[in-house]
Amino acid sequence: MNNTPLVQLENVSRIYQQGKVQVAAVTEFSIHLQAGEFSVLCGPSGSGKTTILNLIGALDEPSLGTVRLEGRDLAELGRSALARLRRDRIGFVFQSYNLNSVLTAFENAEFVLALQNIPSAERRKRVMDVLGEVGMAELAERRPDELSGGQQQRIAIARAIVSRPAIVLADEPTANVDSATADAILDLMERLNREQGITFLFSTHDQRVMDRARRLIHLRDGRLEHDEVRG
Amino acid sequence: MQLGTMAWRNLMRNKRRTVITAFSVAFGVLLSVTFTASGDYAYTNMINTSAVMGLGHLSVEHPEYQDTPTMDKRLLDAEEIRQHALQTPGVTAAQIRIMGQAMFASGAKSVGGTFIAIDPDQETPTYNIFLRTLVEGQCFTADEEHGVVVGAKMAEKLNLRLGKKLIFTLTDKNGDLISELSRVSGIFKTGDDSVDGALVLFPLALVRRALGYEPKAASLVAIFLDDHREASALQRAFARIWAERPDIDILRWQQSQPDLAGLIAVDRLFNYLLQFLVGLIIAAGITNTLLMSVMERRREFGIMMALGMMPGQVIRLVLLESCWLAVVGLALGVVITTPWFLYMAEIGIDFSRQIGEDYSAGGVLIDPVMKFRLYRESGMWIGGAVFSLTLVAGIFPAFKAGTTPPVENLKQG
Repeated sequence: MNNTPLVQLENVSRIYQQGKVQVAAVTEFSIHLQAGEFSVLCGPSGSGKTTILNLIGALDEPSLGTVRLEGRDLAELGRSALARLRRDRIGFVFQSYNLNSVLTAFENAEFVLALQNIPSAERRKRVMDVLGEVGMAELAERRPDELSGGQQQRIAIARAIVSRPAIVLADEPTANVDSATADAILDLMERLNREQGITFLFSTHDQRVMDRARRLIHLRDGRLEHDEVRG
Repeated sequence: MQLGTMAWRNLMRNKRRTVITAFSVAFGVLLSVTFTASGDYAYTNMINTSAVMGLGHLSVEHPEYQDTPTMDKRLLDAEEIRQHALQTPGVTAAQIRIMGQAMFASGAKSVGGTFIAIDPDQETPTYNIFLRTLVEGQCFTADEEHGVVVGAKMAEKLNLRLGKKLIFTLTDKNGDLISELSRVSGIFKTGDDSVDGALVLFPLALVRRALGYEPKAASLVAIFLDDHREASALQRAFARIWAERPDIDILRWQQSQPDLAGLIAVDRLFNYLLQFLVGLIIAAGITNTLLMSVMERRREFGIMMALGMMPGQVIRLVLLESCWLAVVGLALGVVITTPWFLYMAEIGIDFSRQIGEDYSAGGVLIDPVMKFRLYRESGMWIGGAVFSLTLVAGIFPAFKAGTTPPVENLKQG
């Protein structure tokens, strides 16, 4: 059995240059995530949650330290290799859905598969399956502006999981939806984690999300404050 | 989902901006067609007018005649050359001519000038501007060996009228001076005083005899083409046919009329330069619009890159948007340019009040009515240039979109 953690962050720091001032968004942060986790990065605004998601998601590079995904050091990968890694192994769910407004729900969900050059027939089957999973098969031909916030977030989740990624990174996924919709979205993600073994890592300060997490990684001022694993 | 479809939808996202930008491309097409088509018409007109003023689109002559046009430099078998030329596809006419300098005298005065000796049985007004512009009398016939057609200005200078005597003096093939008498059978008026005051048409038989030429000799065979742009190709074709003839040379109109060729080349260059500068201004506007569109969508590009889109694919997407913009702009350009082009091709703008009826340049009369004519290759060139320019205008915005790190783009919005 392979015991390599899915995600490894070793002494990671991320320092931004803002004018003449250096700002440390994350300082000497280390953590391991195993496949199948349903974990939450929590902490107040500015604590470094999104920066850590960006580092794990190969969108940003650490100033110091090492980020590994499935054992691969991301610093050793070029721009195109990182793009391929994001396409094939990582799913993203953003706070404000960020669906492409010129694409239908189906096309938004299909986007990553199209980037992977998967044949059209297979794409259609997988997209319709996953839209069925998130309860959006009926609205597949609608454009984002014809969908509610909750429906858009379901499409965003479908887009994130359709390529069967190793991990889904969700940045404040419930921030822009009402309580009922937030619960429905969390139910969906929990089910996908439980039934399909998809690893989820959230960044949030929403208590409802934290209540459902099996691991809570508390951040403060860019440092690990407390790593709480629940039963 | 194809990138091309996505690019089209992106372009249609802001229809008003797309239409305004496409109109600037269309305006570029309109300007380019205006500049190019007026040039194509004017140059063609000048070249064809120049051809019917004596030398044709191609002239076959003695190799040294161009540099030292003395009467001893002649073609001995001009008639055979003419027949050969007439059998060549693309050739519409071929005329045997003797051209040279002479002194012309009447009872009143004498003036120096140029003569063209023609065969009245072969010559037609289509290929001889002087016969086309006869204002008095008619051209001499083959039976009238001593007939002469003079320009109106020369007739005025020498106080000549129809039937009056004209004495001309020239050097023959041996360099000896000879004089002959002729009578005015016609007077032409091209409108260009420099031509009308210095040119005379003689019968070929008279001049052949006066110069001591052989029965089929002449100084040149002027060849007229269906399309002046074929001059180089036909020159090469004739050179191949007469490769074994060191006694003849084939000149294109550009070689026989270097002043005109130079004038057209310089004018064309300025025309292109002007079009290039206008194109640059339009391209800068398109770049600005596309860049604005890209900057507004930075977060969207960040999301697409986060989802795994390669930088090259982002660049391609924006370039495809440029392509679509070029297609829409070209289509719009055709729509707005067609009525203007048709009007100018059929009616044109008459500048005779401004420049007069007898304006000439490079020794050639210029049509005072500005009209349009667009060669197929010019149309293709305009389409290609406008398309390329629009595509080039999209390169910087495309690279801006594709090379910005995704995390930077995601911070936007």
